[in-house]
Amino acid sequence: MSIKYEQKDTILHVENLSVAYGDKVIISNINFTEKNIIRPGKAQGQTIAFLGRSGRGKSTLFRVLTGLEEPATGVVLIPDYDKEIVNEQQPAKKVKEGDVGFVDQKYTLFRHKTIYQSLKFAYRKAKISAAEKDEKINQYLHDWGLSSSKNQYPNELSGGQRQRTAILEQLLSSGYYMVLDEPFSGLDVGNIQNVKDAFKLINDSHELNTVIFSTHDIELAVELADSIYVLGYGKKNDNTLTHTGTILKHFDLKESGHAWQTEFTTDHLQVVKEIKEIMMAS
Amino acid sequence: MILIMLKKWFRPFEKVDAKQRLTITAIWIVLVVGYWIFASRGTKHLFPTPVQVWAGMQSLYAEGLIVHIASSLGLCLQAAVISLLISLAVVYLSPLPAIKPIALFLSRLRYLPLTGITFYLTILVTNARSMQVWVLVVFMSLYFITSLLGVLKDIPPDEINHARSLKCSRWEILWEVVIKGRLDYVLDVLRQNLAIIWMMLVTVESILVAAGGLGVLIKNSDKFANHGRIVALQIIILLIGLLLDWVLQVTRKGLFRYSTY
Repeated sequence: MSIKYEQKDTILHVENLSVAYGDKVIISNINFTEKNIIRPGKAQGQTIAFLGRSGRGKSTLFRVLTGLEEPATGVVLIPDYDKEIVNEQQPAKKVKEGDVGFVDQKYTLFRHKTIYQSLKFAYRKAKISAAEKDEKINQYLHDWGLSSSKNQYPNELSGGQRQRTAILEQLLSSGYYMVLDEPFSGLDVGNIQNVKDAFKLINDSHELNTVIFSTHDIELAVELADSIYVLGYGKKNDNTLTHTGTILKHFDLKESGHAWQTEFTTDHLQVVKEIKEIMMAS
Repeated sequence: MILIMLKKWFRPFEKVDAKQRLTITAIWIVLVVGYWIFASRGTKHLFPTPVQVWAGMQSLYAEGLIVHIASSLGLCLQAAVISLLISLAVVYLSPLPAIKPIALFLSRLRYLPLTGITFYLTILVTNARSMQVWVLVVFMSLYFITSLLGVLKDIPPDEINHARSLKCSRWEILWEVVIKGRLDYVLDVLRQNLAIIWMMLVTVESILVAAGGLGVLIKNSDKFANHGRIVALQIIILLIGLLLDWVLQVTRKGLFRYSTY
């Protein structure tokens, strides 16, 4: 059953993006646009998945999306919410480091800061009073089940607590956008559920919140995402592979009615099968 | 039962409990001391007898051993603090491309022989105690710089990227990830290099005999071929070295809860 929604302003626009290290082109010709989803009676964020076999440039793309790396060509644009709306449109800005949160697969944290100190540091640039910051941090700690361990260092945390802290840090620092590079890699079933719950918390808390993640688990991507991009090597004229990553196909799961469903159906499995076939050929 | 236990002791990678580890250590101590007593029997022997070593220990104590130990520890502490400050300044600035070649060059200088350095220091420094301190400072700094550069090199890029994603400026990354984030490693670098420094200290102390110290005691004992005293001093030097190592290890673990290695 398809769920009612509409799409409004552009929240992420990537145009003609390519990255090269010396002569080696890693990714090229990356183009996509994502828009803000509006669902009646519900704050609905965006969940975008990137799939592709190893070495197809997912991590490289993520480094550019987060401003950690300069592209060789092209641009990544996000709305500039610090500026006034002009002609009913939010002005755009080029993404720079810190605009988009980034969580790596090891859930890296400052080794010398406790959870509370880490969150306080992540929130240091927010233009609100110290008391308000403290209140919001404590609220987050409570909502994310971290209150009792707020004075613990990363080496004293469980895997799940570490994940939640890494995600919260980025939420407090960068605002609406968060990129997670293979967040489910090497996790047990309980921790996978923790990350899924975290995605839901982020998505439900603000309609502009946008989670972008990569994974090798296609079923999980189809279950969680409302938009999926498959990255792979393109084909040359002689039908051989190019060895440069690019977007091969976009699956809009909102449009096809697969997004936000409570059950994983045979229709979803059909999408999984289709994605698998594209990946195997690339 | 004993046979099974003995078999375990000679099987590679076998895990033994704390009680057995203690037993193995005790057996080794008994064997070494036993061999020492046995090998130093008779009129002709290379190694002094335990009785001679004990007598050496007593005569050293009577000659003010504690004062000499304090002098050596004072010299070690003074040199360690100065060289740590110099090394940290060089290493913390080494991420700056303009400073990096200097840090790397200083690290390579550790291959210079002691004699070459002391010659130039004699010209620059007039006071003999300062001479001892600065010879140690020069050498300690070269080793500290090398080890601390290794610590910096081992910082995972993920930690740098993590700080960048949290809107840290380059100087903030240096402060948070390199300086604050690796403070515990400084103590460990000091601990790892202390063995070389403690050995060097004894040599350096012989430059200025009037200032005393363990180096002077060992040199005098050597001059008069008093082997009982020499071995007694070596045991004392070893034990103080191990004590310093333990103190630094305990300090690191006590001060830095996040230190896991």
